[in-house]
Amino acid sequence: MLGVADAARATTAVVLDSDDDALSVIDSTTYKEVSRTHIGRGPHHLVQTPDGRTLVIAMSGSNELVLIDRVTGIETKRIAASDPYQIGFSPDGKWLVAASLRLDRIDIYDGKTYQLVHRLPASTMPSHIAYSRDSSTVFVTLQGTGSVVSIDLVSGKVNWTKPVGPTPAGIVTRPGGTLLVGVMGSNYVAEMDPASGDVTRKITTGNGAHNFLAAPDGKTLYVTNRVAGTISALDADTLAIRSTIQAPGGPDDMAMSPNGQELWVTGRWRAWVDVIELASGSLKTSVPVGRSPHGIFVY
Amino acid sequence: MFDAAQRTIEQVQGIVFETSLQPVLFQLGLMDWSEDVFDGVAFALYGALAVVIAYLLCRPLELWRPVERWTDRRGVRTDIVYTLVHRLGVVPAILFLVLAPIGVMVDSYSRFAGYIPPEIEQLVTPLYNQPFVTFLVYMVVLDFGEYWRHRLQHRLPWWWALHSLHHDQRQMTLWSDDRNHILDDVLALAWGGTLAMLIGVPPGEYPLVLIGFRLIESLSHTNSRLSFGRFGSILLVGPHYHRVHHSIEHAAAPFDRSRGCNFAVILPVWDVIFGTWRQTDDAYPDTGVASLTGPRVRCGYLRHQWEGFRRLGAALGHLVDRRRPSFVAAFPAE
Repeated sequence: MLGVADAARATTAVVLDSDDDALSVIDSTTYKEVSRTHIGRGPHHLVQTPDGRTLVIAMSGSNELVLIDRVTGIETKRIAASDPYQIGFSPDGKWLVAASLRLDRIDIYDGKTYQLVHRLPASTMPSHIAYSRDSSTVFVTLQGTGSVVSIDLVSGKVNWTKPVGPTPAGIVTRPGGTLLVGVMGSNYVAEMDPASGDVTRKITTGNGAHNFLAAPDGKTLYVTNRVAGTISALDADTLAIRSTIQAPGGPDDMAMSPNGQELWVTGRWRAWVDVIELASGSLKTSVPVGRSPHGIFVY
Repeated sequence: MFDAAQRTIEQVQGIVFETSLQPVLFQLGLMDWSEDVFDGVAFALYGALAVVIAYLLCRPLELWRPVERWTDRRGVRTDIVYTLVHRLGVVPAILFLVLAPIGVMVDSYSRFAGYIPPEIEQLVTPLYNQPFVTFLVYMVVLDFGEYWRHRLQHRLPWWWALHSLHHDQRQMTLWSDDRNHILDDVLALAWGGTLAMLIGVPPGEYPLVLIGFRLIESLSHTNSRLSFGRFGSILLVGPHYHRVHHSIEHAAAPFDRSRGCNFAVILPVWDVIFGTWRQTDDAYPDTGVASLTGPRVRCGYLRHQWEGFRRLGAALGHLVDRRRPSFVAAFPAE
């Protein structure tokens, strides 16, 4: 029904145009948008299921999760879910957590059946999600109150809520277990102790530190700096800045090309996707897409 | 060409936001407002574009076949100020900074209570790949709501006190659509926004719906001898049709000032269905409110706004104590 069969090709980037309610498919060899399909309201983020077979698209406006078969590119299911904005599966695949940024709450679903298990109010603007490595805990940034909340997934109880800095956005769990948070209202990434929620270190990256992507080899961690219009490449072990890449246009979500040579990043304010050649650290091309491109997935 | 124009606007929106507004939000610690402000920039840009299109479309009509010619156009200049202030500043600010957060709060509570707004595409699945048709469906439903809001603006004395600012213009032109009291605009946005939320209009599309309404309304206020004829006047509100509405004090029975006629904003069919449709053939009556004349009508923007508060105060005073004069009686013709 959605005509997203183009997504079945091996060389494809899928981009969610959040203000156009559309899904753009880009041929990642020609760097051309080959289709733009109305998919529903407010698509913001997408993840693949733990088995890698399905893409799950969170539709915050039309209150549903749209499931697309990765092999065929065909929509397989729409599941009712109230205002899912950011979603993420736990490492063991048991849980799917959805942050409702607009409505200030966090929903915890069964990762296989998509049944709602817990619903928690979250003050305010719950944004990005990370899990403890043992899948027992989810950490969610709260943009409106400059904090991070830790929630026990089994009980649905809050472990702690701790301040981290103004308007926190992206959050990831490092291999050693500590948390990194992009502090969008400032210019740094904060490292937090997952047990106590204390901030243990601040790494200055650039104004509007926003989101993360770990390179497949685990050696580099990329951070988008939305206000500065840059991407910082950090040493994944030491968190020292290796290089800074120019990426104007409100860089947001990132994805790595399958060959690991290109970094794809959505430009929220300029309706384009930047393709960055990692060897040179320079912009290879910008691909025009729909308004406010947000989530991205590259095959 | 349409795609190129849209792409240009998107890029201007991005540049304006990224270079001028985002740094300010960052410095003020307001980055959590960034997406709202970004959308507000688009609304203001599209609003400006709508003003330009309305001018290019309607001004030639006014020059070609004007209903009235004036040597003193001070009243028109006030309406130009109204248009610029309201479309590019006040209304976007109210919509995105005040009403949108309230709407989100209401939406949140209703969802917690189990009410999830319907999506028209989920009810009519062929609409999934027809966003333009869906957009038109929303316009029709919201136009129905606008018809009834307009009826209430004339029917309720306190609301008429505010709405009379719109009607007291005797030099009606393409600029007159935005000649409204700020409270009247807030009520209009709240009314339309509530209906839009109930029927599931995406928040990102609502500003475009508003701009669509504004374009038609600019045309319908044009000072031009343009009628769509007896048949066309049932399909779309035009200058002649709406001029008859603005002459309501001169309308013959069974219509009177409080009830009026031709209330439709876009589709006259609502007037036909509810018995308020009226055609006067080739008559292009004078516009205005007979009892409202002089400096309190022919004045600048701020004084006119203050005048609206005075009229509202009189109307509310009369509502509380019937011995007090209603606003028209309180401010007799000069």
